[in-house]
Amino acid sequence: MFWKKGKRIANDSSDTQQPVQRKISLDSLKQVLDNMDDVEIIERTTLNDQKVVLIYLRTLIDQDRLNESIIEPVIQCPHAMIYESIATPKVMKIHLLEEAQKLLLTGAVLLNDCIQEQWLVIPLPNELSRGIETSETETILYGAKDSFTEQLEPNITLIRRRLPITELKTEKYKVGSLSETTIVLMYIDGLTNPEYISIARKKISEINFDLFFDSSQVAAFMEEHHHSIFPQFQQTDRPDVCAYSLGLGKLTILVENTPFVLIAPITFFHLFQSPEDYINRWPVASFLRIIRYLSFFLSVTLIPLYVALTTHHYQMIPLQILFVIVESRSKLPFTPFWEAILMLTILEIIKEASLRMPTKSSQTLGVIGGIVIGQAAVQAGFASKVLIVLVCISTISSFLVPNYLMTKANTLIQFCFLLLSSFFGVFGIAMGAVAILAHLNGLTSLKQPYFSPIAPFYWKDWIDLFIRGPLINMKSRPDHLHPLQKWRYKRRM
Amino acid sequence: MRRKKILLVWGIFVSLVMIPGCAPFVENNTIEDIAPVTFWSISKGEKRKIKMSTLVPPLVNEPKSLLTLEVDLLKQGGKDFNLRYYRELKVGQLRMFLIHEELAKQGIIQLINTLLTDYDISQRMYLVIVKGNFDEYINRQAKKQENLDYYLYRMLKHYERKKQGEMTIVNLHEYKNKLFSPFSDPVLPVFKVAKDNFTYEGTAFFSNDKLIETVKNTEDQIFQLLDNDHYLKFFPIPKLDVVIGHLRSRVNVDLDKNLSLVTINVKLNGRIEEYQGNKNILNGNELMQLHKEIETELEMKTTDLIKKMQELKVDPLQIGTHTLSPFSKPISEKVWLAAWGKMNIKVNYQLYFEALQNTKNNY
Repeated sequence: MFWKKGKRIANDSSDTQQPVQRKISLDSLKQVLDNMDDVEIIERTTLNDQKVVLIYLRTLIDQDRLNESIIEPVIQCPHAMIYESIATPKVMKIHLLEEAQKLLLTGAVLLNDCIQEQWLVIPLPNELSRGIETSETETILYGAKDSFTEQLEPNITLIRRRLPITELKTEKYKVGSLSETTIVLMYIDGLTNPEYISIARKKISEINFDLFFDSSQVAAFMEEHHHSIFPQFQQTDRPDVCAYSLGLGKLTILVENTPFVLIAPITFFHLFQSPEDYINRWPVASFLRIIRYLSFFLSVTLIPLYVALTTHHYQMIPLQILFVIVESRSKLPFTPFWEAILMLTILEIIKEASLRMPTKSSQTLGVIGGIVIGQAAVQAGFASKVLIVLVCISTISSFLVPNYLMTKANTLIQFCFLLLSSFFGVFGIAMGAVAILAHLNGLTSLKQPYFSPIAPFYWKDWIDLFIRGPLINMKSRPDHLHPLQKWRYKRRM
Repeated sequence: MRRKKILLVWGIFVSLVMIPGCAPFVENNTIEDIAPVTFWSISKGEKRKIKMSTLVPPLVNEPKSLLTLEVDLLKQGGKDFNLRYYRELKVGQLRMFLIHEELAKQGIIQLINTLLTDYDISQRMYLVIVKGNFDEYINRQAKKQENLDYYLYRMLKHYERKKQGEMTIVNLHEYKNKLFSPFSDPVLPVFKVAKDNFTYEGTAFFSNDKLIETVKNTEDQIFQLLDNDHYLKFFPIPKLDVVIGHLRSRVNVDLDKNLSLVTINVKLNGRIEEYQGNKNILNGNELMQLHKEIETELEMKTTDLIKKMQELKVDPLQIGTHTLSPFSKPISEKVWLAAWGKMNIKVNYQLYFEALQNTKNNY
């Protein structure tokens, strides 16, 4: 066992060795770019009979701009100073091969001025992206419709347009040894608590992995509780949610190649807030928010409660309902627990299948699933009518939680509660609830308590917790976020 | 460290299970394996035995049949029922306990104790005294009405609610409280079974646990006003050809220091619902006269009812509780009942009736 450990350490030390820095040359570059089909190495002669070599990856650069801004001006260049003829805003000189290699892969053109023996790098990335579309995961009826795309720059633009202040800072980092994914840490200087920023910086710098294709993978490396089912970073593709969170004193992390932005620190209750809460009239918004909490509770406890009552506590069922349940269950072959497990598993399969299928097929799947669950299961004697109704209510309730990751967590909690309720009845559900509450109390997001403003208690923040109070009364930023600027209004001079 | 953590979690888990006193040996309560019965009917059997009946299946829509047993003990009956039916009969949903009048006259404290000590039986179960052969009635009616037992329960539940008036409805908890408290005697509703009818007859007064008297009709209605619900929807007084209704009473009981006089003042709000007599109630003076007559009639009937209670030495109105005061030693129940039997009674009624018609003095 010991020699294995020793070997691993030796390998690790070889990984951390600093690479030798080599000077750039045409031959060395050709050697590095060998067997890359999309590499273009072209030679041109200027009016001044000066020879230039252009090296680029045609799949990563904007070809039209290459012709307009580099090739034509360089060929027409009457003097020896090629550097001055290039019509792009950014031209840099480089000397090292590794540097040139990296820049080539970000969509830059390398230009070798053979007479002056200098290497120029001109960024000409191909801005290949889809347009700004409406959000599909967090749809709202009223309010802004735009959503983030996979490109970083347009995403930053969408936020900057909403927060046109110089205090909005962006810090770029690279993560992923293979994917070289750019991530951007965004915060408002002088408002966001510096502690959060330094924690985030430290966590980003500690990330050590090869591939990052989604922000949730970045979040997985920044979370403090890897085994929890609750998301500790809020993921959103809505710029308005991002800007609002920044304004409250949170920070955001934008990840290249994904439209989902991370927001932190968050609490359990942020996952129940929808952008529409701040658009609706406050009593309506408060009512809808309460419904959301209630539906979360229902989705988690309704079926376990059914199993607990029908297995252990028949005394607790009102006589009228007992009539219906006994009649409905009298000819079933399964116990309430297995009946519930069967129905929920079938439902999960249908849900998962409909997500993966193309839209048209998923509609068919929905109809088949509806008929199978709704009618055939009852007629075939697999499930009782009462359970079907409860499964429907519980499933629909689970969709009311705006956060998708939370919806998935719901299902897992429901299954755990189901198991507990079948063994211990209502007492099992109570035990499960205590365990969940204890777990939530122990969770943190960017080292901030996940269950605040309840624990620790911040009574002023309750105005935007279970209800959404009138905006006119929300004069201060949430205390639990410890912002540097407490008040949300400008003081009159 | 890890082992300590696991031990700690197990410790918390085991204590959580132990603290609420959950038994590790639980009964099978799976709903399809059991038959939760809704009522037990108890009457006197042969040779000092108890005759117990219940309806099976209690909830499922299958042809129903009445199970009847003669047993020595209540729980013995519960056990023997299971031996006669394919599903286990459970008492967790027992909603009605019907006791035959004859059995109630002998005393029911042992039955009540057995019911109270069974943690499966809810204390919200209704207790009812039955006159006549209930088994015969339910056997005949069950064929006509599918869920007769359920409808009987619904009826009791309906009249149990406040401001329904009409009936005395008592559950096990209320009965137990009055039975074991000083200065109070329990009451129960009495239903009469005759062929196809199940009729509310009145209120049974109990001395300790023995039924000693049943008050009916007007007396029962007065009892509803004085104690039970303080509300009556309709109160017919045939002697005066009048029906008064929507009556809300406020009763004030006053005892003198020597325990020789009890004054009962009743303020009655309501209205005249129907009048078929000779007076012209559109005339103010005649209406006042009718009011006076109603007052006198009610005072007389109430005095009679209370005198009856005195003679029977029962105190279902809990008048004895008025002897208690914060800084004095309470008198014993014996002393109270002795004094109660000899007390003078003074009853005053004050009627506040709504004028639903225009009246004219010289009409």
